[in-house]
Amino acid sequence: MSTFISFILAIISSMLIDNVVLSRFYGICPFLGVSRKVKSSLGMGIAVVFVIILATCICWPIYTYVLVPAGIPFMDTVAYILVIASLVQLVGLFIKKYSPALYKTLGIYLPLITTNCAVLGVVQGNTDQGLTFLNALANGVGTSLGFLVVIVVFSCIRVRLESANTPKAFKGLPIALITAAIMAIAFMGLQGLFSGIKL
Amino acid sequence: MKREKGQTKKNFLKGIIQENPLLVSILGTCPALATTKSLEAAIGMGILFTIVLLCSNVLISLLRKLIPDEIRTPAYIVIIATFVTMVKMFTNAFLPELYSTLGVFISLIVVNCIVLGRAEAYASKNGVFDSFIDALGMGVGYTLSLCLLAFFRELLGTGGFTFGQIFTFIPLTKLIIPGAEKFAISLFQTPAGAFIVFGIVLAVVAFIKNRKAELKAFEAKQAKLKAAEEAKAKLAAQQAQGGQQ
Amino acid sequence: MSQTEYLIIAIVILVILAVTFIVSFVLYQRTPKPKGCEDLKPSDEKCAGCTNDACAFYKEKDSVESIEKKEEK
Repeated sequence: MSTFISFILAIISSMLIDNVVLSRFYGICPFLGVSRKVKSSLGMGIAVVFVIILATCICWPIYTYVLVPAGIPFMDTVAYILVIASLVQLVGLFIKKYSPALYKTLGIYLPLITTNCAVLGVVQGNTDQGLTFLNALANGVGTSLGFLVVIVVFSCIRVRLESANTPKAFKGLPIALITAAIMAIAFMGLQGLFSGIKL
Repeated sequence: MKREKGQTKKNFLKGIIQENPLLVSILGTCPALATTKSLEAAIGMGILFTIVLLCSNVLISLLRKLIPDEIRTPAYIVIIATFVTMVKMFTNAFLPELYSTLGVFISLIVVNCIVLGRAEAYASKNGVFDSFIDALGMGVGYTLSLCLLAFFRELLGTGGFTFGQIFTFIPLTKLIIPGAEKFAISLFQTPAGAFIVFGIVLAVVAFIKNRKAELKAFEAKQAKLKAAEEAKAKLAAQQAQGGQQ
Repeated sequence: MSQTEYLIIAIVILVILAVTFIVSFVLYQRTPKPKGCEDLKPSDEKCAGCTNDACAFYKEKDSVESIEKKEEK
């Protein structure tokens, strides 16, 4: 199988089968918190996609070509969080300076991406599992797209939930979590997606 | 500075009940869902989390006058990341089973909102001892709520509890309710089960909160009515007195 | 290259990363907000479900609520 097809398959598998929010539990906070409005959750999702892909591209070489030869692979977490935090600040700086329209929709939530587990989780998982650069990139792209899909779908459902007649104790977060559980069950159905294809 | 009596106890207990980081403030949900498959993993995660929170809170509280205000957040992130790295190395060396079970989630303590939140909200403004107690309360509260989730998930998912798989220094013991494993619902071991259990626990917490608020409102109303009645009676008595004169 | 040289390079890179973070953080804080965005407030629609008190915005939301409470009294 050509590299390209396996790259695409790896993206799809980390996007749908092993979904970042529903089966790996990264980024639950923004998933539950900032997803009432479809538009703002779309903005947040795209920002996360951007940061995850950039962070993967920077962190993997730092680990492989700097930390491992130097004999200090245990410094990975510190290096990653520094890379992610500076990336978020730089992207925020850029938006603040050159794109007031974008700043208006998501600028204020941008600093929160630093504490989004999805970014650090993906980057750390890539090197913990010893993936090659291409696989790491596929994992990054797939995971972030999975985050985007789930957060947008969930915000659509939540708009409906607002007007639904739920028991008083379940109003707000509890019913959102139950909804997420049903979504997780639905995504479990995708597990056999590649069973016919030899990878 | 004079200390009020019982303030330390209050400070400690608030992290467990009133301001429980997971069940009341709903922070740190990622590890709460991912590491509660078994009671043992939840206890391990809680202990590691508490250690990081204690160390970072104490150090930040010690350095709170040295760190310039403008670069506070970067400094906190670096301090927390350093402690997490240390905890990670110790776990890898002494409890490799715990390390492999928790995996990435040990590193993810760095971005846990609770640690950074406590540093910003408490340790940067209070003394070392207070910060230590605050961190201890928050850590214990978080551990207990993780155990609560893991208790239901393991009990419903496997029909009992298994100890000794992760903490290998205790002998392997299985506490299974006789006949219960036939009725185990394996859904509760999957991610979907985690969401369901967490949702229901939060609903119970919300129910208790609503109940308390209603009771308070009811009492306030009763007190108001009583006061109004007393005032009326007083007025009537005054009027009667005026009539006699 | 020897191990020590690699180590020195790694430490230099880590220090560069830390400096980049601090400089970009300070720059971000000091950059004035663009026109029309000076008084962005947390909307209940977006923030109601979130309780992240590490978020600078959460405190603002808190203070807004407390001000409203005071006004009610």
